Amino acid sequence: MDRIECQWCKAQNEPERTSCTTCGAPLDQRNVVSDSGWTEAPRLRDMTEFKFSSSTCQIEGEIVPVAELALAQGDSVFFEHHVMLWKEPQVPLSALNVPGGARRMIGGMPHIMSVAHGPGRVALSKDATGEVVVLPIHPSHEIDVREHAFLAGTHSLNYSFVRIKGLANVLHGGSGMYMDRFVTGGEPGLLLLHGYGNVFQKTLQPGEKILVEPGGFLYKDSSVQMNTAQQRFKTGMLGTHTMYLAEMTGPGRVGVQSMYVHHGTE
Amino acid sequence: MSTPAYTCPYCRLPSDGSGTTCPSCGAPTDVRARVTKSGWAEQPPIRDMARIHFSRSTCQISGKYVPVAEMKLDPSDSIYFSHHVLLHAEPSVRLDMMKMGSGWNRRLAGMPLIMMTASGPGHIAISADHPGETFAVPLPANHAIDVVEHRFLVATSNVGYHWENSGIWYVTRNGDEQEYHYPLGQTMDRFSAQGGPGLLLLHAPGNTFIRDLQQGERILIQPGGLIWKDRSVRMFLHFEYPRGQYWFSSARWQAKAIWLTLQGPGRVAVQSVFEQPETVGGILNSSGATTQYW
Repeated sequence: MDRIECQWCKAQNEPERTSCTTCGAPLDQRNVVSDSGWTEAPRLRDMTEFKFSSSTCQIEGEIVPVAELALAQGDSVFFEHHVMLWKEPQVPLSALNVPGGARRMIGGMPHIMSVAHGPGRVALSKDATGEVVVLPIHPSHEIDVREHAFLAGTHSLNYSFVRIKGLANVLHGGSGMYMDRFVTGGEPGLLLLHGYGNVFQKTLQPGEKILVEPGGFLYKDSSVQMNTAQQRFKTGMLGTHTMYLAEMTGPGRVGVQSMYVHHGTE
Repeated sequence: MSTPAYTCPYCRLPSDGSGTTCPSCGAPTDVRARVTKSGWAEQPPIRDMARIHFSRSTCQISGKYVPVAEMKLDPSDSIYFSHHVLLHAEPSVRLDMMKMGSGWNRRLAGMPLIMMTASGPGHIAISADHPGETFAVPLPANHAIDVVEHRFLVATSNVGYHWENSGIWYVTRNGDEQEYHYPLGQTMDRFSAQGGPGLLLLHAPGNTFIRDLQQGERILIQPGGLIWKDRSVRMFLHFEYPRGQYWFSSARWQAKAIWLTLQGPGRVAVQSVFEQPETVGGILNSSGATTQYW
């Protein structure tokens, strides 16, 4: 029997499905790709449901979407504690054991990560207009995410954080000192991100470069190298202005968000 | 001589009508214009991935909440924009600084100090930093419009850019303090197409509505709602004092409305999201204004 491949996450789906069981992307719409190769993150239809492990996630709303997770016994998700919108009373909460508490505090990262355990329902949402981006992560895959951009991760993901290399990248990169890193172990995991505005993804070939406004950076495969590119401009009597952009070098995926705070001009 | 098959009701430029979007402004061509009974036309959102053609280059609009304008620049074309709206660029695109005068005055007025130019070949993407609509205003040769500050996103390099005092202000007195208010900002941007047609992209929060005012026709709008107007449209303040039953709602106290009067002829555009002007204290002085006591 023919199966439908999801253009976003490449998962195989039953032919009667209209949305991907793994990431929720519409299966009856083609990927929307710009002339230069940026793919729009799929707009999840209101009430779209998809599965992870023995649990399900339903996306509600379109302007500030809510991710409602129906957790099965034995499944759990972790998230920054301030994104929890509501939960059923019987859903137990615990704190994720995150190493490097002092460094996280210095880096402006949340030092409390909450874990919700099944069975029961919990709903998560962010505080601004945007899109929920669903990234199924295959075993042994690594993905780096801008700090505060992640909405939830499933229990099969290992969470750590990596320091952004290079003082210039930290000071002028606009992405903070650290990035969240998510790695899967033996079984696939699911990562939900919230991008402000609209989200676009481009797959860079080996050695291919793109310059990205640092505030617009959302995520990248760990194989993509990120460096700060300095642009200096003479401004006559006012002297020189320096602008910093993030130079991404492939291979791998890069995700950007269209609403951001500009960083890096002096 | 053949006549064009289609004239866009929004930008009024002709095209052959073969596509589903206007090649000059990106407005859909296969939907009926939505006009309210009072004459406001709703600016339709540019469809995802619609292309706008200018000179030898194209602009593709993508996204719904905070749309991105992705330019495919020909080597002979260039654009300019405020530096903070740049989202991504290919390394082949040449970025440079645009020469601008009166930097100190611009800083005082809260306007962007740094304007950048980008020259082809290559792709470059621009996006604003708040939800709303991005729309194109193609400018015929030698045509100029006045745009409220911070609405400008990007323009082609043959569009001249100046800024002038808005001329709309009032002074309030609250106790012993006097305060100046500029409901449109201290300055307005003026864009004029020079030597040939140009393209201007604006971004406004909420929804956008446009309207043609006839000669002498007036309309009152919230000052914070104006996006752009033709140069021929005059504007001045209008203070309205409703009849109050009690002393604290009386006409000379704080129960007043501050309007911007727009007087035709010409075209105006407003946005549905706006800030109310400051109304604390009595009005001591103002730019040219009319007053109505009810």
